[in-house]
Amino acid sequence: MKFTVNWLKQYIDFDFTPDELADRLTMAGLEVDSVDALFHGLDEVRVAKIVEVAPHPNADKLSLCEVAVGPERYRVVCGAPNAAVGMLTAIALPGVTLPSGLKIKKSKIRGESSIGMLCSERDLGISEEHSGIMELPETLEHGQSLIEALELKDTLIEVDLTPNRPDCTSVIGVAREVAGFTRGNISQPIEKELPALTGEGVPFAVDVESPEDCPRYAARLLRNVTIAPSPWWLKKRLLSIGLRPINNVVDITNFVMLEYGQPLHAFDFDELAGHRIVVRKPAPGETITTLDGTKRELDPEMLLICDAEKPVAVAGVMGGGNSEVSAATTDVLLESACFNPISIRRTSRMLKLGTDASYRFERGVDPELAPRALERVVQLMVAITGAKVVNDGVDFCEGIAEPPVLSLRVKKTCDLLGMDFSADDLIDFLTSIEIRAEKKDEDTLTVRPPSFRVDLEREIDLVEEIARLKGFNDIPSALPMVPMSFAERDQGRDLQKQAASILTSLGFYEAINYSFVSERHFDMLGLEEEDPQRTVVRLLNPIAEDQSVMRTMLLPGLLENVCRNINHQTTDVRLFEIGKVFHPTGGDQPDEKVRLAAVMSGRRHPGSSRLYFAEELVDIFDAKGAVEQLMEGFRLPQVEFLLAEGAPKRYVDPGSFFELKVDGKEIGCVGMLAKKALKQFGIKQDCFFLDIHLDELVELAAAPKTFTPLPKFQAVSWDIAVLVPEGVQAGQMIEAIGSFDDPLVQSADIFDVYRGKPIEDGIKSVAISVTYRSSEKTLDDETVGRVHEKIIDMILSRFNGRLREV
Amino acid sequence: MEEELLRLKNEATASLDSLNKKEELDTFRVQYLGRKGQFTTLMRQLGGVSPEDRPRLGKLANTIKQDVEKAFAEKQAALFGVASAGKPVDDLTLVGRRIPAGRLHPVTQIMDEVCTIFERLGFEVAEGPDVELDFYNFEALNIPQHHPARDMHDTFYISDNVLLRTHTSPMQIRAMKTRKPPLRMIAPGKVYRCDSDITHTPMFHQVEGFLVDKKVSFGDLKGILSVFVAQMFDKDVAIRFRPSFFPFTEPSAEVDIACVMCGGEGCRVCKQTGWLEILGAGLIDPEVFRMVEYDPDEYSGFAFGLGVERIAMLKYGINDIRLYYENDLRFLEQF
Repeated sequence: MKFTVNWLKQYIDFDFTPDELADRLTMAGLEVDSVDALFHGLDEVRVAKIVEVAPHPNADKLSLCEVAVGPERYRVVCGAPNAAVGMLTAIALPGVTLPSGLKIKKSKIRGESSIGMLCSERDLGISEEHSGIMELPETLEHGQSLIEALELKDTLIEVDLTPNRPDCTSVIGVAREVAGFTRGNISQPIEKELPALTGEGVPFAVDVESPEDCPRYAARLLRNVTIAPSPWWLKKRLLSIGLRPINNVVDITNFVMLEYGQPLHAFDFDELAGHRIVVRKPAPGETITTLDGTKRELDPEMLLICDAEKPVAVAGVMGGGNSEVSAATTDVLLESACFNPISIRRTSRMLKLGTDASYRFERGVDPELAPRALERVVQLMVAITGAKVVNDGVDFCEGIAEPPVLSLRVKKTCDLLGMDFSADDLIDFLTSIEIRAEKKDEDTLTVRPPSFRVDLEREIDLVEEIARLKGFNDIPSALPMVPMSFAERDQGRDLQKQAASILTSLGFYEAINYSFVSERHFDMLGLEEEDPQRTVVRLLNPIAEDQSVMRTMLLPGLLENVCRNINHQTTDVRLFEIGKVFHPTGGDQPDEKVRLAAVMSGRRHPGSSRLYFAEELVDIFDAKGAVEQLMEGFRLPQVEFLLAEGAPKRYVDPGSFFELKVDGKEIGCVGMLAKKALKQFGIKQDCFFLDIHLDELVELAAAPKTFTPLPKFQAVSWDIAVLVPEGVQAGQMIEAIGSFDDPLVQSADIFDVYRGKPIEDGIKSVAISVTYRSSEKTLDDETVGRVHEKIIDMILSRFNGRLREV
Repeated sequence: MEEELLRLKNEATASLDSLNKKEELDTFRVQYLGRKGQFTTLMRQLGGVSPEDRPRLGKLANTIKQDVEKAFAEKQAALFGVASAGKPVDDLTLVGRRIPAGRLHPVTQIMDEVCTIFERLGFEVAEGPDVELDFYNFEALNIPQHHPARDMHDTFYISDNVLLRTHTSPMQIRAMKTRKPPLRMIAPGKVYRCDSDITHTPMFHQVEGFLVDKKVSFGDLKGILSVFVAQMFDKDVAIRFRPSFFPFTEPSAEVDIACVMCGGEGCRVCKQTGWLEILGAGLIDPEVFRMVEYDPDEYSGFAFGLGVERIAMLKYGINDIRLYYENDLRFLEQF
């Protein structure tokens, strides 16, 4: 909702500065979005009178204008077709900078000197009009400053209206709000008693077939209308809030809509078949071409204004082209009606057509307003267009509901707001904004809201008015008294936090990606057509193709992040994301599961100086290590790294990929990404990932923390170096030692693997360090040696090995 | 080629023995091991040898170069005790050796901070589905079909009655439908609106909070939110409540704090008003209570919602909302 300070002052007196006014309105619940001085930059523009026009000797389309500006005379070269002797216009003299930034200088145009520039409305930033120079009213004096002459100094205020305040979609509505906090009175243009509209003897008829959707329909007829441009004062009002003047009739209906909040429509009376208005629902297949030239299919639920034969308007939304007021129009039928908000909103939605009228109707227009606004239009039409008003008119108002009578409990109000009021306090507040209230009993008021406050329907609406009038900031703060209670632990949430904390400590940064992604990701990863990840939840109205389906995996988003970082010269990247993925279930809502994914690429020691760490790059063991540390942190049973059975997904490197199992349950995977998939995401360096189903882990039991007494005696480590066939896996050997049945064996660790000369092909040398410890004594060589021998024998026989000769 | 390599090795090793000044070492490094050094020059010529010989000669060249590098490092260490990786240095102005560590996303950091404040006040944390039913997102929150308030939410739809939640308020309904007061909850989460420009992303984060019991008042709402603002920003920051409209609360308020950029003087960030809007709140509308079968004459309560990205922008001075979802490490490292 836009209005200007001068316009507002037409209805209410106040002496706030524009900023103060804005602040008061905001605190009353009409949030001011902007306060802007209008027409600035025109201080130096003056009124000029053209006293002579001569053709330019060197250019057909230019003329030489001699203009008077007060006592001074100037010669200006002008290209406007409408420059004529005797005309008053606006001149920007040398030194002036126009709103567009154009600086006026003395110049020579096609050999003729020119001082200053005669301006169009667009040059002045007043409107988009640029077909000629601005024609000013003859009553002005040349030499005057344009701003003073046209009274242009004003401030535009834009209010961001909430849907509950339809009464403030008008300047008078805002004035009423101002009167609320200044306790002043507003003066309306139509104060007098309205003429009774009986419908007797008028040369037209109105037939409302759907009173539930059209509770009121008032109409009057004007004859001998002269269509012409509007007078300056009217144009100025429209221009100042950014509306384009069209002609006097259209401008007047727009003006009154802005002034009172009542949308109005003017029909060319001669185009109305049968001189009849019928308000009805569309017949099947009926269409209308609206004012904007669009042919519109109609739905039986919509509401139409029709004449005896055809639709002439979509009720409350937009008029039809067939009955539009044109230059040839002489008789005008004016409509001032009230429509059901839900019906208008539904129609506007279905047609995808929002207008100033539908904006107001769908929020609710005061049903008592129609005849008053109609009277205002008639008054202006007679004054401006020279029209003759036909006596009497129609005012159908059978659909209007009884105004509500509400009860307001004093104690309930006090309890809800947390402060004490007396019944008289409440009455005083309500009366200040034209709400009638009286005491019914000690605790209850009977309240009758005015018709323009269509939003006041319930007791709570009145409580809000009390709070608003008291001022939210004057209601004392308190802290609630609530019984103690406790929340159960949310294991899923705890696990997410723990995972995030472990991964950040391992150098991973947290990423957050959109939940909707591009379906193309699946092709980029090379997923099979029947891959279950391709079954997605789809948005009906995505913003873009690359945000059109809900993600089923986190990895693609992270890969895009990796690419972006590498492109910005950050080549050491470690990111993780914990977030939901969505899988359709066949029901209304998809399955939402929380997953954890992480990617790592680049150097093993990101963030540290190259001075200390060489160019070591991360490999599969870094990714494995991250998984191990996560699981250890979660205190879950030993995680198993299983080589994938069958062919793994195409986006992983089959040589470096593991499926993860804990307690026999599949919980995710870890591996290296296939070069081909990385290339699809624009990544040219190796990249490793892990992907874990966090929700599954919640189900697994974490090991309790139990204390083991610290060892009293020292441990000793003995090494073994064995030659074993290539096929023997290091993990198997460690596991064999770990499960060796002797209490002295504590742990085993591989510290070297060697292939090549002098060892023959197909054989590798593995060096293992075994740690022994007794809980009872310090171990001697003899005791250790006995066990060590057994372990060596076990290794050699189980893995077909032999000792390496030193 | 092979002779050439061996000659170079012998020459380099011999010359290394005679060096004992730092400058001489530097010259040596440039001459033999640098990017334009003799080894590099020689190794470039490998391209010209026959393909059968190339692997063998390449390997030999590498081995020789490594030997020389090792000899150089040893010489350097012997002379000055410096510089090979991992060894102690005597220049203490060198940077410290770091272990890599990451951080949480700024949105998560703010969300955790908000949750922690309310958890200290005894609020319980709960999360609901992102893909929500129209009933929970709109109907039950007193936003029927064809209500103009639906314009305040540009909604992504999955089907006629399934959508991406436009706010975290559906959690109010989900909690109240299954539990009885007293209730104190906060619901953090992702929300979605089909709107994308410099100041809007189609996905962002909210934290919803609500408290329901007997005799909860607007004064209580003011009290709780004042505590929150004092904890989240600064205990002396000015705060104001002004009337607004949400279909699921009445009276409804927007809460502003004195602009954290200009301190209330007026600047570009606060659009010269001196105030910044940080959350919306109000008393839960009796209509909402009816939808969950609470008696509005017995219970009252308040609800509030705040945008996490906005708070992060204000606290950290972030000026472009799109940065949140690009996951550029240069951004993430700053928080």
